[in-house]
Amino acid sequence: MSWEVETEEIQRRRELALGQGGADAIAKQHSQNRLTVRERIEHLLDPDSFEEVGPAAGAPHHDADGNLVGFDPANFVLGFGKVAGRRIVVGGEDFTLRGGSPSPAGLRKSVYAEELAVQYRLPLVRLHEGSGGSVGGTGGKGASLPGPVNTPARFRSVARALATVPVASAALGAVAGLPAGRLVASHFSVMSKRTAQILTAGPAVVERAMGEKKTKDELGGWRVHTKNGTVDNGAEDEAACIAEIRRFLAYMPGNIYELAPVQSCSDPADRCDQNLLEVVPRNRRQAFEMRSIIASVLDTDSFFEMGRGYGRSQITGLARLNGQTVGVWANDCKFLAGSMTADGAQKARRFMELCETFSLPIVSLVDEPGFMIGSQAEREATIRHGAAAVLTAAMTTVPWASVMIRRSFGVAQAAHYGPEGYVLAWPSAESGPLPVEGGVAVAFRREIEAAPDPDARRRELEEQLAAKQSPFPRAEALGVHDLIDPRQTRPELCRWLDRVQPLLPSLLGPSGFSVRP
Amino acid sequence: MTRVELETGGSVWKLLVRAGDPVEQGDTLFILEVMKMEVPYVAPRSGQVAAVHIAEGDAVEEDQLAIEISG
Repeated sequence: MSWEVETEEIQRRRELALGQGGADAIAKQHSQNRLTVRERIEHLLDPDSFEEVGPAAGAPHHDADGNLVGFDPANFVLGFGKVAGRRIVVGGEDFTLRGGSPSPAGLRKSVYAEELAVQYRLPLVRLHEGSGGSVGGTGGKGASLPGPVNTPARFRSVARALATVPVASAALGAVAGLPAGRLVASHFSVMSKRTAQILTAGPAVVERAMGEKKTKDELGGWRVHTKNGTVDNGAEDEAACIAEIRRFLAYMPGNIYELAPVQSCSDPADRCDQNLLEVVPRNRRQAFEMRSIIASVLDTDSFFEMGRGYGRSQITGLARLNGQTVGVWANDCKFLAGSMTADGAQKARRFMELCETFSLPIVSLVDEPGFMIGSQAEREATIRHGAAAVLTAAMTTVPWASVMIRRSFGVAQAAHYGPEGYVLAWPSAESGPLPVEGGVAVAFRREIEAAPDPDARRRELEEQLAAKQSPFPRAEALGVHDLIDPRQTRPELCRWLDRVQPLLPSLLGPSGFSVRP
Repeated sequence: MTRVELETGGSVWKLLVRAGDPVEQGDTLFILEVMKMEVPYVAPRSGQVAAVHIAEGDAVEEDQLAIEISG
């Protein structure tokens, strides 16, 4: 007696599982410009690299005689695979089955994704399209029993994954409830503008509870969620989302116990772009293009911006310097003067947490006028979010190089410098407790009011004080490591990065703090 | 019709076009003053200024419609 009958049934079940939710459900998915989860995984991974975990999980159907007539696979597909030759864990809901709302086996597989990634110390990619539980329970036939009291906390593995391995997630269709909570618990998240919505609760639940009638896109489309920081990036469609995730992973180490991979670099370390000499206007009211400085200083085309749509006064992203991954943080003076807003502070804090978790050196290009002010800023608790960013910087252990490009003022500026960081200043650098324009009007109010021509006296005082904020006295007092020709920024930073190499291996392993969404 | 909307609040420092003016893509339409910085807004495409909804000195808000360009 051989095991041929059972072996054939294994094969049958596998074939039936690959049919997912059936031809009609797959056709419907495609007609709405969305791929199935298996197609998404295939797009993400290197060819033929998928090693599925739990393909036999699901619910069989038998006829009256006990013959297998159908098999509903677990509606979460999970496994290992390779991206650019490096192994990862990948998983995603199967929307063609139960609209992605978890089946019992689907739920087990979905919560296993983080555990696998932590156990094997592999980056995790989640490709989300699905919703949370249903009042019918995961079995669909009445409320499900709760787990026993000693069940491990479900979200502990989600938090541990964030502290251990790179986690990147995409929203590719409607994502609600539990999958939405996991989507945002990522180091990098991206949503498809064409096909995705992210919903704490969908339109029907919202209308019932709030009386608010909104479409899925109005509630949670990309216009809402790329602007509020729910996700880092928006990309045109599914393919573009997957390309962004592959790009993100290329900068990252496999886990916190490894350093980020170094690529060979054809961009000369001593490249000195001429435009850096004139990019900052002498007129202090005129803005400049910080992203052009980033392009001139970092390796050509290496800047991968994260969170461009929100907290826009701060620019954050990954880049390479002489082939090595660094975190880049800069101010954008074209947006609210580059000031530290509540959402900009949260974005910066999360970004520093990412760099600290994965031992990525930070390059900080500083043009910080201070915390955003005004009634809206007060309503948003700017000072508390800003202080969180400042204290996060103070607790980092990764190497920092900060380049004072223009302004560096107030408490907020402290967030842009790491402990024992390397500090360079351009000739355009100004620093102090607050910018002269605001400070003079307050500190010299009586003197200005008493002057025969108050406006002229105010301008005179502003000029006198502005001269004191010049970087020369600061350099004379060793307040910066050096005052440099802006064209020398790239070679200076490449030399700094070379010098800090011996410090990096000792930073590996768990950090004092990790990333919180 | 192309709508030029404000990315942030601030005050209108200089208004450089009037309704009916022809504009080329990249021409500065107006300059906002935000946190003591000048923030120029440029024409996203060539055409004619169909309507101007702001005036110099106005205190303006994020997402406010500033200018419409037709043609």
